[in-house]
Amino acid sequence: MTLDRRELLKRSGMISAGLAIGASAATHTVAAQEEDSLVFWDTLNSPPRSEIVENIAAEFSTAHDGITVEHRGWTSEELVNTLPRSVEGDQGPDVAQVNNGEALTGPMIRAGQIIPLKDYAAEYGWDELIPPGLLARNMYSADGTTFGEGELWGVSAESEIVGFYYNRQIFADNNLEVPTTFEEFETLLAALREAGIEPLLFGTLDKWQAIHIFGEIQGTYTTREYLDNLIYRRGDASFEDQSMIDAADKLVEWKNNNFFLDGFEGINGDDATPLFTSGAGAILMQGSWAAGQVTTDMGDEAGFFLMPPHADGGTVLSVGGVGIPYSITSNAENPDLSAELINALVSEEAFNAFIDAGLLPAGEIPEDKITADTLSGDLYSNWNQALADDAVGHYLDWATPDFYDILTGELQKLLAGEVDAEAFTKALQEAYASSFDS
Amino acid sequence: MQAPSTPDPLKQITGAATSAAPVTPPARHGILARLEPYLYLLPAFLVFTVFLALPAFGSVILSLTSWNGVSWDTATFIGLENYIDAITDRRFQIAFWHNIVLIPYFVLLPLLLGLIPAAVVHQLKLRGARWLQAGLFLPYIMPGVLIGVVWAWILNPIFGPVNKILKNMGFSPPTWLGDFTWALPTVGMIGAWAAYGFCYVIFIAGLQKIPSELYEAVRLDGANTFQEFMTVTVPGLRREIAVVLSVNLINALRAFDIIKATTDGGPGDQTQVMALYMINTAFGANRAGYGTAIAVLLALITLIGSMLVLRFMGEDDA
Repeated sequence: MTLDRRELLKRSGMISAGLAIGASAATHTVAAQEEDSLVFWDTLNSPPRSEIVENIAAEFSTAHDGITVEHRGWTSEELVNTLPRSVEGDQGPDVAQVNNGEALTGPMIRAGQIIPLKDYAAEYGWDELIPPGLLARNMYSADGTTFGEGELWGVSAESEIVGFYYNRQIFADNNLEVPTTFEEFETLLAALREAGIEPLLFGTLDKWQAIHIFGEIQGTYTTREYLDNLIYRRGDASFEDQSMIDAADKLVEWKNNNFFLDGFEGINGDDATPLFTSGAGAILMQGSWAAGQVTTDMGDEAGFFLMPPHADGGTVLSVGGVGIPYSITSNAENPDLSAELINALVSEEAFNAFIDAGLLPAGEIPEDKITADTLSGDLYSNWNQALADDAVGHYLDWATPDFYDILTGELQKLLAGEVDAEAFTKALQEAYASSFDS
Repeated sequence: MQAPSTPDPLKQITGAATSAAPVTPPARHGILARLEPYLYLLPAFLVFTVFLALPAFGSVILSLTSWNGVSWDTATFIGLENYIDAITDRRFQIAFWHNIVLIPYFVLLPLLLGLIPAAVVHQLKLRGARWLQAGLFLPYIMPGVLIGVVWAWILNPIFGPVNKILKNMGFSPPTWLGDFTWALPTVGMIGAWAAYGFCYVIFIAGLQKIPSELYEAVRLDGANTFQEFMTVTVPGLRREIAVVLSVNLINALRAFDIIKATTDGGPGDQTQVMALYMINTAFGANRAGYGTAIAVLLALITLIGSMLVLRFMGEDDA
């Protein structure tokens, strides 16, 4: 069939008209969102967290007539990969959770993609919500080059701390008490193994819990000053510190003493929780974020304790920190309204909603929310004590942007006996030191 | 006397005189007429340009920069430095080697697992085999992440069925995906399982075109089943083997989803592969320029590998 000129023009015109209509519809949609809506992205993508923030969003919308508040919950990996490029293309949200440190906050500050919150912090009192030691994790210098000091760039609604959930019945049946020293903990783990009970449950196949078990042990040998210098990259801390070597040796010793779940290398971290709640072991190493699931499955048959200090004294820094903070992006058409939304997300109402859901909000838990001999009571009282002692440590993979893969890989080698403590810390230090050159 | 001519059915249909000279199509005139064939190619060309050519070109440009992937303003041109870094990067070398190690698992094993049953079914004319085809092909169309999650459950050392059975039989099985010795072979076997159904279906289809007379001929010469396989089946499936080798080689070199869903490159770096290392450096380490250079290298390696396979299999054909 020959396409004559008239037919060609006719068909081209139809296609062009169709494309133009589609493009104008899309443009209209984007414009409408900018004028009368607030969009916030975070990692709260499943109940109960998603329900909490969506309730807050609905109430905010009601209180601000005409403003639609849209929430989108992502996985952590999706949000990290999507957010900066969306903001760069002016397609980002008004408010977003931005991973702390050099994972994302530092680069986004330097790119001008998030705005400082100093004035809003003063207005809303955000810098008084949590102690300075925790607040520092949301702070950067004005030029975005120095982590852990300077101005506030994000506000966290939740907190996190890693500890040990224990089965009260198993403890009672075996005449065991919650350990008050590190050495008592070791004796307890040995006794459980001797009794044929899996002592300590966790999984390292998907790697992240290797950071936690090592961090928990390392926290008994370290100091606040050393750990802060290391994570905030103040240049004078090394991974070949004696606390790291001692912790690595102790981790291997615990593994060789069969204190860990048989086969822990082959299961994921989240697989250990249902194993614990089904009675397959006595103690579960997990973060406060698992309290909801453990409560649902076991109620108050489970308790919680933090890593105890060595018998000769000293403070233990438990792995933990603040939840991913909310920041205002440079795409925000109305930063004042965006700040108001953040304030709603960290309000007393939100705080209480997190507590009611068995989660750990950012800040000290009021005494009237703590019920003795309950799982939540154990968690909250331990959390308050850690806050008071300034004993909330760090996630060691925060040391450099690519440290997660390096640290977890070396930990898996250490646990498998592929490397010893000296080689382990040397490899970490090489990677850490080279990050200062790039 | 000439016999009456038999009506030409073609003439009756077309009305054209079959004994007449061939019909010359009307001459095409004008620029529009010359452009007409290209108009039919235009949609595909636009899709190719927008979704393949331009991104590929953009990737090459990105790979020449030091960029953290956050804001383009922070990108700086560094020439071929990323490529030199990649080639000398011990972790990239390890990842590359692991992709090479996966080739027997992802390429040769599924080829054999697909070819031998297909030949048996075809040569022995086993009935009911076609009902198996859908089931055998199913893993190939399952998402790689789903395959990884399911196999991670099956191989779970605590509650997975494999280790439970082995322990009941008195063995002390390893943790498979968490074991430094077994992790890479285990991932390889999962990849072989995912691919062999595809190979089987390709070969079964290809076997249909081999003339049965060839089998009869070699049988008359006294060939047994194995000799039939080697002298008729394998040569007759040369093109299909080339397709299978090429497709599976690409899958071996760009292996990612099964590994991400099972071991995430661990334990240690025992299952680290190029695609996973590329993602981790580009997005996890905020080194988008370097990660893109790895992506370009991966594309080149895959292209060279595919061309070598097709050339190797094509020379015999010529």
